[in-house]
Amino acid sequence: MRIYEELFIIKPDATEEEIDQIVEQMTGVVTAAGGTIDKTEKWGKRRLAYRVDKHREGYYVLLQFTCGPETVKELERRLRVTDAVIKFLTVRIDETLKRLEKRKKHREKRAHRKATAAPAPAQPSVAAQMLGTPEEPK
Amino acid sequence: MAESRGRPGSASQRPTGGDKAVLTQKKQYFRRKKVCRFCVEKIDDINYKDVKMLNAFIAERGKIVPRRISGVCGPCQRRLSDAIKKARNIALLPFAAVI
Repeated sequence: MRIYEELFIIKPDATEEEIDQIVEQMTGVVTAAGGTIDKTEKWGKRRLAYRVDKHREGYYVLLQFTCGPETVKELERRLRVTDAVIKFLTVRIDETLKRLEKRKKHREKRAHRKATAAPAPAQPSVAAQMLGTPEEPK
Repeated sequence: MAESRGRPGSASQRPTGGDKAVLTQKKQYFRRKKVCRFCVEKIDDINYKDVKMLNAFIAERGKIVPRRISGVCGPCQRRLSDAIKKARNIALLPFAAVI
């Protein structure tokens, strides 16, 4: 099982019901194959950076789900045949998430070590000062 | 001959090592050392959906700003360019912007 992110654009002239229907259909593909939907986000209508099929705007929908690689193939096929979907992008994110997690842990560990290590060198230096000061008058 | 070309333009024409080239040459002007924004602000996740952040790293024409200008470190630039390319693919960023 892998974690994926699917971002797709629906034609701007599609109605709310049509959008809901498409989203439902796509989530259905994932759940039918034994995957789970983790997140569904509707970004709403946005201006496209360039023209896609003569559209200047599009309705963005983001899905995050966990499933196997075959399911993604099926999902992409479905998106391709759906006329209202003008563009889509699938990104596998489980490895990125793992990397981020590792990095975060590393950061915390370092911060923790810094917090504990900072007073430690301070003590010898104070001791050195105390040793140093009596010597100065001599 | 090399010393006579002390104009600020000569350093930028060099292909590599923006900061080093200036320092090894005669120290005539001071340039602030560039730092990687992602390392300094501790941004681990360079995400393709964060258009506002990516916009800071594309030029007027929609090109990716080179490392020698933006100061982004190697690993971060690699992730950044990947993110920009993904964003372009889904029409969040332009391939070529019209001015």
